[in-house]
Amino acid sequence: MDESRRNFLAGVAAAGALTALRDVNAQTAPEGTLANEAIKQGKLASMQWHSERPLTGSLPAHEHDFDVTPSERMFVRNNLLTPAIDIHAHRLSVKGLVDKELSFSVFDLAKMFTTVALQGMLECAGSGRSAFRPAASGTPWLETGGMGCPKWGGVRLADVLRAAGVKRDAAHVAGQGGDPGMVPGAAPVIRSIPLRKAMDENTLVAWAMNGEPLPWVHGYPLRLVVPGWVGSASTKWLHTLTVLDAPFSGTYMNNSYIVPRSPVAPGEKMPPETVSAEAWPVKSMITSPAPNARFKGGGSITVRGRAWVGEGEVAKAEISTDEGQTWQPARLSRDGDKYAWRSFTYEFKPERPGYLTLLARAWDSRGNAQPAAPSWNPLGYFWNGWHRVGVVVEA
Amino acid sequence: MWLLKLRGLAGLLLLAGAINAYPQKEDKLISGPGSTLTENKCQICHELQHIRRAPLSRGEWADNLRNMKARGTPMTDAEMAVILDYLSTYYNREKPAPAPSADTLAAGGDDPIQKLLNANGCAGCHSASQRVVGPSFGEVAQKYAGDAGAPQKLAAKIRNGGQGTWGQVPMPPNPGLSEADLRRLVGWVLSQK
Repeated sequence: MDESRRNFLAGVAAAGALTALRDVNAQTAPEGTLANEAIKQGKLASMQWHSERPLTGSLPAHEHDFDVTPSERMFVRNNLLTPAIDIHAHRLSVKGLVDKELSFSVFDLAKMFTTVALQGMLECAGSGRSAFRPAASGTPWLETGGMGCPKWGGVRLADVLRAAGVKRDAAHVAGQGGDPGMVPGAAPVIRSIPLRKAMDENTLVAWAMNGEPLPWVHGYPLRLVVPGWVGSASTKWLHTLTVLDAPFSGTYMNNSYIVPRSPVAPGEKMPPETVSAEAWPVKSMITSPAPNARFKGGGSITVRGRAWVGEGEVAKAEISTDEGQTWQPARLSRDGDKYAWRSFTYEFKPERPGYLTLLARAWDSRGNAQPAAPSWNPLGYFWNGWHRVGVVVEA
Repeated sequence: MWLLKLRGLAGLLLLAGAINAYPQKEDKLISGPGSTLTENKCQICHELQHIRRAPLSRGEWADNLRNMKARGTPMTDAEMAVILDYLSTYYNREKPAPAPSADTLAAGGDDPIQKLLNANGCAGCHSASQRVVGPSFGEVAQKYAGDAGAPQKLAAKIRNGGQGTWGQVPMPPNPGLSEADLRRLVGWVLSQK
């Protein structure tokens, strides 16, 4: 039995206890949803919860020194509440500009299409937002942490769309999630991605994360995984795919996840000309040492980190120990799935004792380097400034 | 592996029993004209720290409010105008906030109930004896007459909102109301028969 199929069956087992969970939970969280405390059980105790409603949380860079992000370290970003969905009742509908409208159970998907497992980056568009000055509105993500690179299991979105037959004038594919809001009139979370990205062989309809069924808060039983792109593209609790001839028009497309077409002065409001937030620019972080780590004088220091880019390849990772005046190449691993992050290491011997600042920056294959600080934008998206970690070298 | 899963779920069940849907601690913005309405509308979906952390310009607040309305915040254009004035006065990145003052929009003379009704936007949908958008307070009191569990039921309705009891126009939740104010309102409504 291949790994994805085994994962899938584990998901069915988990669903068996759902009815009981819902009964207890109903007295405490709004009907059909999971209480935050139940979700937190699946996360590391040191997870930093940035807000309770909607639930958002992450871990800083030095808690991410893993090649594959463990599920209990994956960031949490909800727009609305966390639904408790029964996998047996759940359906995925495919409609819009297709030859034939289709509807699948999660079981149908596993039976009908080739199962795929791949490692892929997800990062919230606002990851790093708290580093912007002046402060931008939204979830106060730390400078690092609103991202992770787990292993996903499911089927290719392209296969599902091909089964329905995409019509000639198709341009975008919208995913709709089943997360309910606090009020009956809450706008559903609907985001669309261009057809070329939907047809990419790395874009998945996923039911597994790190060899287990998706955790509730990560979209159980079904989600999109659009690796490398802003996390909101990867619709959780996916129940409907709609093929459109243009980007979907709704508040989660028109008012959120947009950046100015041309940069604006810090503090200016969103100009009329905007573009949709899609692939992340090149970014890196130092995952070891942790801030304020202490080292014995005379020894060497090994710096480890991770680098990634939304589209293309990471070409280079560099470390500076002199506040960015000079940069030294780190040893970059080039192996791995297309949209997985890359690890890098850099070893050196500090010249003198005292406080020492390590800076990391990466370059992509198109020659883009991380800036010291990216241009400000009103919603605080795409922070990819140099990552800074200070350590102490003892005398 | 299946066993492992089931054990995990049992843990979830135990924990879920102890939790409330809404945070119990009371969260307040700087007191000023419109602060109560702002607290109550914004807290339906998110915590107030988002407002405190990132003061915006008036133009950004206007965009922000438009977005929140599009996302489903139940607020009238008049309420939106009050909230925009409040936020761009007290949480404006371009100028310091004035000193806190009474929420003068929570008017009603010395009558604490009238103040609550006005400040929380209740009066937009309910009146003493006539059906407006929702039932009159008298109708609500009559519906619950003789029901020993009425205070709890009505408190939950006011706190969490609802739909279907009186029609299909939803009553928005009121997470910003303090427990004391909630009790006060419940007692008053039930006495309106």
